[in-house]
Amino acid sequence: MKKISRRQFLGMSTKAGAATMFAGIFAPSASSMLGLGGVAEAATKKIKPFTFAVLTDAHLYDIADHKFDHILEKAVADVNSIKPRPDFVLYAGDLGQSGKKAELVKGKKILDKLKMPYKIIPGEHDYYLDMGKAWRQLFGDEHWSFNHNGVHFIGMNSILVPDFWTLKNLTPQERMHMMEELECHNCGAWGVGEKQLNWLARDVKRVSPDTPVVIMTHSPLWDYYPRWNFQTYDAPEIRETLRKFDKVISIHGHVHQVVYNEIDNMRSCGLLSTSWPWPYPPVELEYPHITQRRADPGDFEDGLGGHDISLDTDFNSIVRWREFSDLLPDNIKKGLKV
Amino acid sequence: MKKIRKMSLAAVTSVIVVSCTLIVTSAVQAKPPRSEAQIAQERAALMTAVAKGDDLWHSAKLGNNGLACANCHPDGSASNVHTWPKFQTNLGKVGTLREMINWCIAVPMQGRILESDSEEMIAMEAYATFTHRGVAIAPAKDEQHGAVPVKSGPGYPRH
Repeated sequence: MKKISRRQFLGMSTKAGAATMFAGIFAPSASSMLGLGGVAEAATKKIKPFTFAVLTDAHLYDIADHKFDHILEKAVADVNSIKPRPDFVLYAGDLGQSGKKAELVKGKKILDKLKMPYKIIPGEHDYYLDMGKAWRQLFGDEHWSFNHNGVHFIGMNSILVPDFWTLKNLTPQERMHMMEELECHNCGAWGVGEKQLNWLARDVKRVSPDTPVVIMTHSPLWDYYPRWNFQTYDAPEIRETLRKFDKVISIHGHVHQVVYNEIDNMRSCGLLSTSWPWPYPPVELEYPHITQRRADPGDFEDGLGGHDISLDTDFNSIVRWREFSDLLPDNIKKGLKV
Repeated sequence: MKKIRKMSLAAVTSVIVVSCTLIVTSAVQAKPPRSEAQIAQERAALMTAVAKGDDLWHSAKLGNNGLACANCHPDGSASNVHTWPKFQTNLGKVGTLREMINWCIAVPMQGRILESDSEEMIAMEAYATFTHRGVAIAPAKDEQHGAVPVKSGPGYPRH
């Protein structure tokens, strides 16, 4: 199989982004770009073991030499040092903080230092200044799928809210500013929306139920703490569409913390940011032993980091939170079997 | 039978008397002529301070690197207002919530500290404290604590 370079991979995904009219037929899939199989190939029980890495929530500001720039650079260098090298990297949104193109350009420049291809989805911080225009110019489609070594990967934009700005005559800056607040109570609940739900249904229609599935969204696909949009309002529909599969691993950003949950066939893992750790919300967790310790505000790298996820032939996976500091309890220090 | 009924009635009556006393005791108010209107006014003044504190808490203007208090402390979470004063490692001494707010402004946010008894600082303290209303005082408790859960709206009466 022909090896495809990162540049080609990204170039093709941008082209796929431009050709959105074809998005409905089959995802502008990166399967061919990774050179590793299509839908038919994914429909096998055994997978070829591999590792991929995940980064998220850099929240870069349009300020030169900002501390978050350096933390993202450190995370990229960390991913590049993983052995054996991850096949690719996923990025789960909030590359920028205020939706400015300069933030996203800066972020792309840092992510382009990854030695492997990467696929990315938007977060609300990337989006609500220009409704994702700059993000799409830089990164292509907001939702996509591809197959790799027998696993079906899905990425979706889960931060869409109904229009709250037109009636209030808000400027794009005012809209963005409101969305930047985790506690925004005027912004509405996030979701993927009907269009993406339909796309998802079409996307997985021909994928056989014994295919391992990994889905990435910015927000959790379960009701964790809706107040902070630690939720996706149409997650029940997403879970229903994916219910036919034996096992689905859901990875999500936005929570900036280690958190885990299981609903039906879906196992959800919250991811570490490279900006700041959010506190745990005032709710009881189903898996309280899969959390991290409290961060020290005096250590700017506490509670931050990246991730690698290894899959074996039977889709047994090990999720590793690659925390820069030492906040992981012993039971998940070496990773969590998912 | 009749006797027992009478006795139980007496018992019930005494329970009612006791609970009434308790209710009255726990709702002691300032002496008249403090009127309902006055109480409402004082309450409104507090809520104005809470709202001002909320805005400051979410403002990037206190710092110089784009960060606001709320970046790490949404709804005032993890400010652990009910645990101060206590020894705080970054302060290197037994300090107050206000000192910790100033430390956060100065260090992670790279901003200029506020006067400890300024209107701004008092407003921020009012906001952080109000998001923890009802949480028991727990000196030196050092695990991270969430704020009072909020289902909808700003989390307090705000106009």
